[in-house]
Amino acid sequence: MMRNVYLGIFTAAATIFGSVKALANVPNSGEAKPVKENTGKPYQQDVLPVEEVLQSIPSPLEISVLIKEVGTVYNKADLNDPNSVSRYNTAFQKALNLGIYGTDLGYANIYGKNQDAISYLNSVKKLADGLGIGAFFEYNEIKQLAESSGKLDELIRKTTYNFEKINEHLRERKREDISILCLTGGWIEAVYLTTLVNQRVENDVLKEKIGDQKIVLEQLLLVLDIYKSKPGFGDLIRDLTYLQEIYDQIEVERIYGKPSMKEVDGVLVVVSGEKTIVKVTEADVQKITVLLKSIRDKIVK
Amino acid sequence: MRNLFALFVIGVMALFFSPEANAQCNAELYVTKSMKSLSQGYQFSKSYRIDGRNGTRKKIEYTCVFAKDTSYQITLTGKDGGAKGLIGTLYDSRREKIVSSYYNNKFMSSWTYKCTATGIYYLSFTFKDSKSYCGAAVLGFKR
Repeated sequence: MMRNVYLGIFTAAATIFGSVKALANVPNSGEAKPVKENTGKPYQQDVLPVEEVLQSIPSPLEISVLIKEVGTVYNKADLNDPNSVSRYNTAFQKALNLGIYGTDLGYANIYGKNQDAISYLNSVKKLADGLGIGAFFEYNEIKQLAESSGKLDELIRKTTYNFEKINEHLRERKREDISILCLTGGWIEAVYLTTLVNQRVENDVLKEKIGDQKIVLEQLLLVLDIYKSKPGFGDLIRDLTYLQEIYDQIEVERIYGKPSMKEVDGVLVVVSGEKTIVKVTEADVQKITVLLKSIRDKIVK
Repeated sequence: MRNLFALFVIGVMALFFSPEANAQCNAELYVTKSMKSLSQGYQFSKSYRIDGRNGTRKKIEYTCVFAKDTSYQITLTGKDGGAKGLIGTLYDSRREKIVSSYYNNKFMSSWTYKCTATGIYYLSFTFKDSKSYCGAAVLGFKR
């Protein structure tokens, strides 16, 4: 009897110890891509490239900041109507529009339009709840920041970080399909806003920004293709492939050069020696503007 | 009842004394610290968790798309204190090194990169003489 008890205790302890050890070795899909040391052999990755691609997509905030920087006046009518949120019923629609509203929220934040930011915040919360990730959205904290004046930087930082955490959570839970839809929605909205502004006041910087999105679109399509059999993905991939056909006409030339580096107040400051020349024509921009609008209209309708 | 209690105690001890459990890296904490170190004018863009899993991971690498006419800043914070033991290196699309935070035998806690070419870049994190193999980095941008 006593021997059986000891045996039971030993087995249980060994199981728990083994579980902890095993857990410590489970690759965490939300984390970085571990790479073996460069030994002259090809890199060996132990997670799917999907992780790598999802991580590489730039924040839509970068484009929003650029739009504001070229002197554009904030126009609420350009953004998706926050009240449209009730129209989005499927997980596919919710995830894409979560990305769209996320970009709109960031855009309103950058312009310091706090009342609009709160409306978008509510839409984001509803969609996040609908996707079962509402618990990860720090609604109250962000709302408080939006309501306080003079905390704009903190509000933008908190909102961006919160979206990053939501995406990380989705990837950890193996819901990368939802994560890629959020990122795609966010990207579509950011580039759509750029084309709108460029239509009103033609600007070479915006034109080049529209053209160099070729690289990001390529990355997005790489991941979307993995989920092509899931509901809704087929149509979206088809639409974005048409867009890619236009982008195929745009040439991005890269000229390599040595960077220069100096230390300034304890910070290493490096200036790139490279250059990219985006060969984008007015006709390319027009085609992208028209097609992107129709893709975006389908998503927000 | 006593057996159950003994089982529980052993279980808790196994969890507590497991070297892997002890070596857990709470990178989140260092994300917050790195975020605060971003220079004035830089908007937070992304965070990178650097968990060397007690030295079993030698290199942690991320891919990123950087945009022309944008300055990027990386700030690093490690468990060994400041940027000690932690190196952040940027490579271009041909995997040629652009900048490393280990400079003149010093662990620099940040670097900035004025990007003039839109494209794919690689950001890798390695450890040198580290005791903890744990930290985080934050990417900020400025137009």
